[in-house]
Amino acid sequence: MLDKELSDFITKNKQNLGLVSLEAPLISNLDVWVNIALIKQYHENLPKKTAKSLALQYLQRYRMEHIADKRNSALTHDERFIVMLLRAAMVKDSLIVLDRPFMIIPDIQDDRFIYDALQIISDSFKECHTFDYTWFKDRYGIFNAEKN
Amino acid sequence: MTEIVERIGKTSMNATATFRDILFFAFTILARMFQKKTYSSATKMVLVNQIYFTSVQILPLFTAISIIFGSLLIGIVFQIIKNMGLAEYLGRILMGLVVTEVSPFVTVLLIALRSSSAINAEIAVMKVNKELHTLDTFNIDVIDYLFIPRVVNGIISVVLLSALFSILAMTSGMLFSKLIFGMSFDVYTNVLLNSADFYDIIMSLIKCCTLGFFITLIPIRSGLHASDDLTSIPVAVLHGMVDVFIAIVLIEVLSLILISI
Repeated sequence: MLDKELSDFITKNKQNLGLVSLEAPLISNLDVWVNIALIKQYHENLPKKTAKSLALQYLQRYRMEHIADKRNSALTHDERFIVMLLRAAMVKDSLIVLDRPFMIIPDIQDDRFIYDALQIISDSFKECHTFDYTWFKDRYGIFNAEKN
Repeated sequence: MTEIVERIGKTSMNATATFRDILFFAFTILARMFQKKTYSSATKMVLVNQIYFTSVQILPLFTAISIIFGSLLIGIVFQIIKNMGLAEYLGRILMGLVVTEVSPFVTVLLIALRSSSAINAEIAVMKVNKELHTLDTFNIDVIDYLFIPRVVNGIISVVLLSALFSILAMTSGMLFSKLIFGMSFDVYTNVLLNSADFYDIIMSLIKCCTLGFFITLIPIRSGLHASDDLTSIPVAVLHGMVDVFIAIVLIEVLSLILISI
C-alpha cells in the first residue's frame, strides 16, 4: 500500500522530485560533496568549483563540512540522512519526499531531528512530503493517521 | 545427435543475440558521443577522473613495460633482419610491426586487464546497490553521466598510450640500430621518417579508436546485465572480460585483413 502510494507520487512528480530514501542510496564511489553537487552540475551545468563551494556551504549549515570528502560507507546514519537531504534539496524547485526516514536513521525516537534538519534548509525546497507506516505515527506526534 | 545440434544452435543464437546487442548499444553510445549537450559539467568531471585513472596512474608501469618489451622486440627484430639480409626494409618493417600491430595490441591488453575489469565491476556493483536507480530518480541519464565518459576515455587512453609505446620502442631501437647495424642517430631517424606511411598511421589510429571504444563499451554492457544479487557481480565480470578478449581478437583480425587489402 505504502509502496504503491509512494511509487504513484514519485511518477507524478518525477520532474522536480528530491527523494530521500534507502531505495535511492548515495553513489558509493563519489565523495559526499560530489553526491550533493552532482545534481546542479548535471542539470544546471554548474562549474565544478561553484558546485563544490555550494555543497560545502550547505554542509556548513549542519556543521558537517568535515564529512565533505568522505564516502557513503564512512558516514553515520545521521550524516547519511543529511547528505541525502541536501542532495534532494539541490533539485530545482525541489519537492522533497522522505521515504521511511526512520529506516535511514533507526536510532532516533521521534521526528525532532528530521524536523530540525528540514528547518535548516527550508529556503531550498518548495514542499516536503513524508511517507511512512501508520505504526510510526507516534514518532511524528500524529494521533489521527488513517492510511497505512 | 539431435541434442548436440540443438546445443550448437542455441549457442550460435545466443552469440548472435549478444553480438547484435553490443552493436545496437555501440550505435546508441556513438550517437550520443557526438552531441554537445551530453557533456555537462558533471560528465566532464567524470571524464577527467577516468583519464587520470586509466592513462596517468598507469604511466610508470606502462613506461617500464614499453621500454623493456619494446627493447626486446626491437632487438629480436633487428637481429632477424640482419640475419636475413633485409636491412633495406628496416624502416618499413619497424613501422608496420611496431606502430600498426604491436603498440595497439600491448596497450589494449594492459588497459583491458586494468581498466575494463574495473569498469565492469564498478557498473555491476552500481546496479546491485541500486545506484543506477538513484541516478534515474534524479533524472540523470546514465548514458551521458556514466557511459560516455568511460568510452571516450577508452578511446583517448588507447590512442595516447599506444603512441607512447611506439615512441619508446622506436627510441630504444636507436640503441640497437647502433649496436647491430652501426647506424647513426641521423640515419636511423631518416630511415624511420622515410618509411612512415600516412595510410599506416591512419589505420593504426582507427584501430586504436575501435579497440578503445569496445574494451570499455563491452564491460559496461556486461555490468548492466548483473542482477540484484551480489553473486552476479563476478559472473558479469567474467562474461564481460571474455567478450572483451573476443572483441580484441576480432578487431585485430579485421584490421589485418583491411591493411592487407
